[in-house]
Amino acid sequence: MKPASSVLLLTTLTGAGYGLLVWLGILDLAGAVPHAPAFGIVAILIGLAFAGGGLIASMAHLGRPERAWRAFSQWRSSWLSREGVASTLSFPPALGFAALWFFEGATAPATRILAALSLVMALVTVGCTAMIYASLIPIRQWHNRHTLPDYLIFSLFSGAVLLTAIMGVWQGHVILPGSIAAASGLAAIAAKSAYWRFIDRQKPLATLASATSVRQFGAVRPLDQPHFSENYILREMGFTIARKHAEKLRRIALAAGFIAPTILALVATLGLAAWLSGPLAALLALAGLFIERWLFFAEATHVSAIYYGRPV
Amino acid sequence: MTSLPQREPGAKKLGLVIDLDTCVGCHACAVNCKEWNTGGHYAPLPDHNPYQDQPDGVWFNRIHSYETEERTVNFPRSCLHCETPQCVTVCPTGASYKRAEDGIVLVNTDLCIGCKLCSWACPYGAREFDEDNGVMKKCTLCIDRIYNESLPEAEREPACVATCPSRARHFGDLADPESKVSKLVAERGGADLMPELGYGPVNKYLPPRKRKIAAPPLQSACGEAKPGMNRLLALVDKVLSR
Repeated sequence: MKPASSVLLLTTLTGAGYGLLVWLGILDLAGAVPHAPAFGIVAILIGLAFAGGGLIASMAHLGRPERAWRAFSQWRSSWLSREGVASTLSFPPALGFAALWFFEGATAPATRILAALSLVMALVTVGCTAMIYASLIPIRQWHNRHTLPDYLIFSLFSGAVLLTAIMGVWQGHVILPGSIAAASGLAAIAAKSAYWRFIDRQKPLATLASATSVRQFGAVRPLDQPHFSENYILREMGFTIARKHAEKLRRIALAAGFIAPTILALVATLGLAAWLSGPLAALLALAGLFIERWLFFAEATHVSAIYYGRPV
Repeated sequence: MTSLPQREPGAKKLGLVIDLDTCVGCHACAVNCKEWNTGGHYAPLPDHNPYQDQPDGVWFNRIHSYETEERTVNFPRSCLHCETPQCVTVCPTGASYKRAEDGIVLVNTDLCIGCKLCSWACPYGAREFDEDNGVMKKCTLCIDRIYNESLPEAEREPACVATCPSRARHFGDLADPESKVSKLVAERGGADLMPELGYGPVNKYLPPRKRKIAAPPLQSACGEAKPGMNRLLALVDKVLSR
C-alpha cells in the first residue's frame, strides 16, 4: 500500500496526542499529577494540538476536503466515519478537563469526571483509527489480531514519552511518567516484533487460480499486462518495497523509535537531566513511529495486485 | 446510507457472465466502456498523457492475459457488483451505495470526499480514482444504457456486452434461475472470483474448456518428405532432392 504522508501524520500525531490525554486522565484519577493549575492546561493543550494537527493533516489525503463534514454521517457502518465522530467528541471533554483543572483544581470531583470522559474518548478514537485498517479484508498485514492492540500500545507509548518530556521540562523529575514510558516502550518493542514475525509467516490471501477462477489447468501465470504504464490501482495498491530496505528500516524504527526512547525514559526516571532526556526521547519516538507507520503501509500488500502478478 | 440494503424478495440481481473460453482478449469491451462512460453517468473519465509514453487514466474494465500449461486465458476484470461489498460499508459519507432494487453498486460523486478507502476495501481492484475531480469512479453496469428508454430495446445492455465480437460477455438477472445468464452459469459451471474472501460477487466467470482437438504438429514448409505423401511422390522427392 502506498504510504501517503498525510495518513502517516494522522495516525502518528493523533496516536501521541490521544496517548498523552489517556495518561493525563489516568494519572489525574490516581491523584498523581502536578497540582499546578497551569500544568493541566499546558499538557492537555499539547495533547489536543497533536491530535488536531494529525486530523488536519488527514484532510490533505482527501480529494474533496471541503466535503469532509459528510464523513460524520455513516457511523453505523464505517470505521472512518466513527473515527471522525469520536475525534470530534473527544475535544469538549478534554477542553473541559483543562478548564476545570485550572479553575477547580486537579483533584476536584468534576475535574475527575471530565478526566475519565477525556481518557475514554481518547482511547475510543485511537481504537476507531486502528479499526479502519484492521477491518480491511483485502490487506492481510492489516486485517489481523495485531492491528488494534498495536495501535493502542503505540499510542500509549508515544503519549507516555510525551508526558515524560513535558514533566521533565516542567519540574525536572519524572519518576512516574518515566517508568510508565519505559514499561510501555518494552510492550511496544514486544508488540512490533511479534507483528513482524506474524506477517513474515502469513500466506497470501489468494492465488492467481482463485483470483481468476481458472483452477482446472494448474498454476496460472501472467502473460500480458492490460496496460504498459502504471494506473491508480498499481500506484495505490501495488506499492512494493525491496526486502533489504524493509529489513533495514525495521531495524532503524526499532532502534530509534522504540529502544532509544525506552532507554532515555529510564535515564530520565533516574533523574539524569530529565529536561533533556525526556524531550529527546519524545523526538526519537515520534520520528521512529513515523518510520514504523511508513513500513506499516509499505509492507502491506493488497490482494488486488495479484492480477498484475505483483507480490500479495 | 452505506449500510447494505435489505434485499427485497424478488428483487433483481443484475450482473455479467463472462466466458473465459471464448474471450479473445481484444480489449473491445474496455474501449467501448471507456467510450460510453466518458460521456455517461460518471463523465468525463480522465486521461493523462494519452499520447505520451506514460498514458494514465480511469478505466472501468481491464483486460489481463494469463497462461497455464494447457492454454492461454484472456481475463476481463471489472466491478463484480458483490452481494456483500465492503467498498460500500467502509464509505464514511454515504456516497458509495448498493441499490436494493437491482443490486448495482454505485458512487454518488456529489457526496464522495475522495478518501479512497472504498478502493482499499475492494479485493478486485475495480474502483479507480478520478484525480481531476477528486472523487472515486467505478463500473455502473451502464445504468444509463440498461434503463435508457431512448435507446432501442435491443441496445439496453452494458456497452461492454454490446460490443463483444466473440459474444463472451452476457448481461442479465442472476437472481432469476430461468434467465439466460443463470442457465449459462448452471450449464457451464460459472464460478466466483476469490470466493474465499466472502464478498459474494454477482458477476460469474465461465471456465475455459479443455482442448478437445489436438492441434496437428507443426510441419516444415519445405524439404523432408511428409508422412502423407504416397510412395511414388516420396521417391520423386528423394531423387529430386539429391
